[in-house]
Amino acid sequence: MTNRPKRYALAIDAKKCIDCKACVVACRAENGVPLGKSRNWINEELRGDWPKLMEVFEPEQCHHCEEPACVRVCPTGASYQRPDGVVAINRSECVGCRYCMIACPYDARFFRDDLGVVEKCDLCARRLDRGELPACVETCPSKVRIFGDLNDPTSEIHQILEKRQYRVKKREAGTGPQIYYLL
Amino acid sequence: MKTIEWQYLIVSYLFLGGLSAGLFFVSALTELFRNDGDAPKVKIAHIGALLAPWPVMIGCALLVFDLGHWYRFYKLFLHFRWESPMSIGSWLLMFFIGVSILYAYGWIPGSMREAAFERLSGHLQFLRILNRDVSGWRRPLAIVGLPMSVGVAIYTGVLLGAVQSRPFWNTNLVAQLFLFSALSSGCALLILVLAASARKFEMHEFQSLYLLDISFLTLEFFIVVPYVIHGELSAEAVRESLNLVLGGPFTILFWAFFLGLGLLLPWAIEVLEALPLLLRHAQLVPRVDTATVAEAGTAVFILRDPGGQAPSRKLHFSRSWAVAAAVLVLMGGVLVRYIFVFAGQMSAIH
Repeated sequence: MTNRPKRYALAIDAKKCIDCKACVVACRAENGVPLGKSRNWINEELRGDWPKLMEVFEPEQCHHCEEPACVRVCPTGASYQRPDGVVAINRSECVGCRYCMIACPYDARFFRDDLGVVEKCDLCARRLDRGELPACVETCPSKVRIFGDLNDPTSEIHQILEKRQYRVKKREAGTGPQIYYLL
Repeated sequence: MKTIEWQYLIVSYLFLGGLSAGLFFVSALTELFRNDGDAPKVKIAHIGALLAPWPVMIGCALLVFDLGHWYRFYKLFLHFRWESPMSIGSWLLMFFIGVSILYAYGWIPGSMREAAFERLSGHLQFLRILNRDVSGWRRPLAIVGLPMSVGVAIYTGVLLGAVQSRPFWNTNLVAQLFLFSALSSGCALLILVLAASARKFEMHEFQSLYLLDISFLTLEFFIVVPYVIHGELSAEAVRESLNLVLGGPFTILFWAFFLGLGLLLPWAIEVLEALPLLLRHAQLVPRVDTATVAEAGTAVFILRDPGGQAPSRKLHFSRSWAVAAAVLVLMGGVLVRYIFVFAGQMSAIH
């Protein structure tokens, strides 16, 4: 992550996820997400053949891509990328055209019918600016989520990604996603 | 969360925007390349010019009402972002609407304009400064507007194609498909209006429109076919997305209603009707007097070879076939946009 003073990212140790959805609830409370919509979610997948079955849980949210398609297509610049890599939305500039929702390979955005604007995870940008962790990271009881600055060699995320193997989702979309799923 | 965000308002806009672009393109092209005193071509250019601004304005109104905040649409014009097809498109639409209105104004007969301004009541008198004769600007406006109309038509496809996360759209062929579909819709509406309104049904008025529409439909067909073949030979995500029209929910709509009824059938009608014209360079000479034609609705023409030999062949030309072909082309234009807007949003990289 060159040319950035900071590069916030998220590593997810999905094997530890127990599908308690505390992250979803914490996010809803922190960001006032209306019922029926969600900034983050947990994918469930059944793997294997009976009787050798395994249920896999994989939390997901905005991938805060290095080259976000949503930011590129936004006609007013309401979707933007902060210098620390966080992709956020300026509500007062959003006209509600929903082009960004269509452009997002991860379907991480939703439309707020009540406000007429698009919304998504911003890694709790206000909390970050106060030096706090995103609500989902802070609340996770099984320590699935590792959040930090990739450009800081002493950060936990930097060190864990040096040691462990990981994958990113839909690399072929070419947006440079920044959620690292540990293998 | 997977949702279909763009629905019927966007489908309608894509069609109406393309229709205006097609009308303007045909009108401007006819005006620029006609001979002096070629009355049928003047008529085509005239009708095209007067019709062109309306569909795109209705379409833009639909676009604005599709926004989360319709009254915030002005923000689109406070920014220009060359990376965003929608931003480029908004500006393009604005300029195109301006040029097409001015061009249409230039085609309004002077007497009608004078009469309209005469009727203005007291407090609207200031509008009389608009009472200008701009008919001399027709050709410059046609030259300026022609690339803009191509831009508007192609942009509707670029809007969809420039999204890398939707494999059903993510090819330049969508932009080309929408371009030729738009130009063909414009042609078709002109054929329809001429066929429905003309008291006399004169083949030579339709000649150029038929040949243009046949060209556009042919090009469209040779874009649809590579779109499917190329997609099938492409990456897995693209192949998977093509299943939406190859054994998925849009299969019958795509193959039977769009490609069959909306493209190949009108193409066949138009080719059969215009075949004698296509096969040889012949002039049309009406064999019956125009009064009979008006009654019968079907004109009988004789093809006269350029060499001036004896009349060799009869050409039947029917009003109902013209109307049928035009309606089918317009239906195909709506359908292809419906299929692409909905199927595209359902496709994803897995």
